[in-house]
Amino acid sequence: MQNLLDPAVLNAISGLDLVAATVVDGFVAGLHRSADFGFSQEFAEYRAYAPGDDLRHVDWNVYARSDRTYIKLFDGETNSQLMLLVDASSSMGFASHAVSKLAYVRFIAAALAYLATRRQRDATGLVVFGDTVRDFVPPASRQGHLQRVLASLMQAQPQANTSYAAPLTHLQAFLRRRGMVIVLSDFYAPPADIVKAVTPLRIHGNEVVLFQVLDPQELRPTVDGSSMLIDLETGAQLEVSEDYVQGRYRERIDAHVANLQREARRAGIGYHLLQTDQPLDQALLQYLRLRTGRD
Amino acid sequence: MGWLAPGFLLGALTIAVPVWLHLLKRSASQPRQFSSLMLFEPQVRSTTRRRRIDHWLLLLLRVAVLLLVAAAFAEPYVRGHLPGTAPDKLLVLVVDDSFSMQVGTRLADARREALAIVAAKPLNTQAQVVALGARAAVLTEQVQDAAVLSAALRAIKPTDARGSFGLLTSMARTLAAGTHMPIEMHLFSDMQATGLPPDFNELRLPHNVTLTLHAVGSMSPNWTVESVSAPPQVWDPTKTRIVATVAGFGTPAATRTVTLLINGKSAASQSIKVPAAGRASVVFAGPDIPYGLVRASVQIDGADALSADDRYDFVIQRSERVHGLFVHQGSDSSTGLYFRSALESAADAAVVLDEVSPEQLRGRDLAPYAFIVLSDVAGLPPAVEARVTAWVKAGGRALLSAGTAAAQQRRLPVFDAPILGSHDYTRDDSRFTSVASVDDAYAPAGTLPGWLGIKIFYVTRVDAPQAQVALRLADQTPLLLEKRLGKGRVLLFASGFDRLTTDLPLHPQFVAFVDRLGSYLSGRTNRVSALSVGDSVDLRPDPAVRGSADVLAPDGTHPLDLREAARVRSWPLPAAGFYALTLADSRHDLVAANVSRLESDLTPASADKLKLWQATGGGPGAAAATMPAPSGAITAAPAESVHNLWWYAMCLLLVAVIAESLLASRYLNTLRESS
Repeated sequence: MQNLLDPAVLNAISGLDLVAATVVDGFVAGLHRSADFGFSQEFAEYRAYAPGDDLRHVDWNVYARSDRTYIKLFDGETNSQLMLLVDASSSMGFASHAVSKLAYVRFIAAALAYLATRRQRDATGLVVFGDTVRDFVPPASRQGHLQRVLASLMQAQPQANTSYAAPLTHLQAFLRRRGMVIVLSDFYAPPADIVKAVTPLRIHGNEVVLFQVLDPQELRPTVDGSSMLIDLETGAQLEVSEDYVQGRYRERIDAHVANLQREARRAGIGYHLLQTDQPLDQALLQYLRLRTGRD
Repeated sequence: MGWLAPGFLLGALTIAVPVWLHLLKRSASQPRQFSSLMLFEPQVRSTTRRRRIDHWLLLLLRVAVLLLVAAAFAEPYVRGHLPGTAPDKLLVLVVDDSFSMQVGTRLADARREALAIVAAKPLNTQAQVVALGARAAVLTEQVQDAAVLSAALRAIKPTDARGSFGLLTSMARTLAAGTHMPIEMHLFSDMQATGLPPDFNELRLPHNVTLTLHAVGSMSPNWTVESVSAPPQVWDPTKTRIVATVAGFGTPAATRTVTLLINGKSAASQSIKVPAAGRASVVFAGPDIPYGLVRASVQIDGADALSADDRYDFVIQRSERVHGLFVHQGSDSSTGLYFRSALESAADAAVVLDEVSPEQLRGRDLAPYAFIVLSDVAGLPPAVEARVTAWVKAGGRALLSAGTAAAQQRRLPVFDAPILGSHDYTRDDSRFTSVASVDDAYAPAGTLPGWLGIKIFYVTRVDAPQAQVALRLADQTPLLLEKRLGKGRVLLFASGFDRLTTDLPLHPQFVAFVDRLGSYLSGRTNRVSALSVGDSVDLRPDPAVRGSADVLAPDGTHPLDLREAARVRSWPLPAAGFYALTLADSRHDLVAANVSRLESDLTPASADKLKLWQATGGGPGAAAATMPAPSGAITAAPAESVHNLWWYAMCLLLVAVIAESLLASRYLNTLRESS
């Protein structure tokens, strides 16, 4: 079942909805065998129906017996919402193997959206951004919403530069309810600037998590002799040597990751580094930890 | 070490290409896209690092490939001996390709035996192929390659040339002088006795030459038209006699039919009895000969193994007689008689002489005459002298004799030279003088014998420093002079043709002298009826004339190329037959070439002579040599030879190319994997 979480395997699946279902079902099946975590969708309580409640949640059996209308509530089913902020700048199109960073982010976002919508019944929203907000799906949990989220993910293409300030400022206007905000990006910006841009999202008690998605070649690049590199976002060219890439650059990328993690934690923001050649379960596990308050 | 074609070494400059590829193209590697260069720092890279060459081994291999290609084309060589290839001797294979080798399978047998020697030759032995005919033609360099030697042997074709073993010995001396290596010479020949030179000393071989004789063929009877005696020029064919001699070598007595062919058609035929191994002559009198240059042949029904010598070709030119004008004093009637009698007594009697007095010359048209003789004329009227002088300057030829009458003048007419005086030798004690020096190259008098026996009684002395003196008397007085006058020539005989001034008319050579004078004055060339193969024809009789010559060979080809046609002066006749010549002065001529009849005698040389010949060299039989080896002969180590290293360069090139391919393939795979 673990193979179903392998990005390379998922890349061979054409439909993003099927990918999401495959990932989440596989992931949940793994959790059932775990003694540490339990997935709760068990009945919790009844609440009197109020106008505006989804009629699909009305317990018609109770209504038949008591002639009263109650809404059936389950554990975990609160008013939480999940906002997925997906970076679709040009740098996300980088791939040293079959799965690009944006594709990997699509898988994660789709799986999280599936898990939140189908299993947790959370409202799920999506923001696709680059230097501006390119696509926005408001959070909702109604039937068919997941398909809209997945469609927006499918349409996301790597282009333009990355700017964290503008899209996050735009997003603050829509965060009315307490929930979780997950930012999926490669975070090629100064860590302090990133944290500074993300911190306002923590208003209303939102949990903010940064998933830094990097390609293995970005962490441990290999070049043969002298190579000319082209920046995917700016188009700038730079000739680098093999010894520089294997020495000085690795130090700098490691420092960048460590700084971002330190700055994020200092600001009360979650941070996780994901590599595009690794299974997706780490991202889902992190989501559930936060969802159940065990992180 | 040296280079046979050093110009190709310039190709080594192409090594700049792989160096450039490895050094400069390296910085122009294919750009790679990367997420962000934010974490990269602009580097200050050292120039040394930038110019470091990638893939040193691959670069060296590529440079080696280019250098080896250039070296292979430049053909390196070393003098000396390569390890294990020191030649032990020089093998010289001489194949006789003379005319007699056409008999039966002689040449094929000789070639086959020579090929067998080549096949059995050790690999490191150098050899050379020589064809022995009119000359010793070296067909190959000194090589070890048996294929080259075999190809040269197979290319040898029979010729019409006469073979001479003296040429072989001469070539052996030249070879021996160029190398101190032992020379093993093999002669493949029919060993004709006529190929041996008259002087056996000419056959003496150098001490380091070993001669091995490979005799092919055997004695075969052979008839031939040995010679034909025919006048090269005729005016009256009815008086023409063509004498042909038929010879048999090793033949029994037999009757042969001899046929005279004129322009390819049978003109006469006779049967003669030829004694056993003897000769017989046949005469064709008064054949019908047309005007112009005629192709004539005498042939017999030989029915022998060598049919090409059963025919003898020759050329006869038939033309009209020329007219000469003999001017003499009216009181002198004897000189004209002597002169005309001498001309008419000559074999070909080509000149018709008209006698006139100086007065009769006044109204005479000079155009029809080929020459004019002014015999002891006391003087000419100025108008007549002017006419004669103008005629000579226009290309005519005149002869003056200055006897007692002419000596009375102050100057000689036409010859235009002052008379210094005269000498009457009859008043001296000796009573006469004689000719002391003769210019042998002067055609009218040069080679005539008996001049010293001619008595000169009277001579006229003239002042003619520009004139060529052909005969000079004992007191150095010129007797026969010639000078150019315009386009013509004037000859002066400083005595008379009468019996008072010289006794020349009383001597037999007077007829020959007058005949030659007549031919010379009338401009007739000395033709020969036939030449032998190998003789040269003069295509530019007058070197001053620039023009293109041409030769039409018997096989219908034009053997002269454009360069030769414009420059060659003489050209050797390579084969028997008729050759139509266009000389440089645009005149046309026809010559006939015949195979030397020495080749017709197929009798081989005696075994004793051949053994003696072999013994003159340094072979096993040298101890039996009756002739001493040349004194002061140098015995030295084997001479160094030149070894072409082209083949080694090509082998190394092949290895380098394979190694480069393997290495480059490996690097390419590495690059693909990394990209």
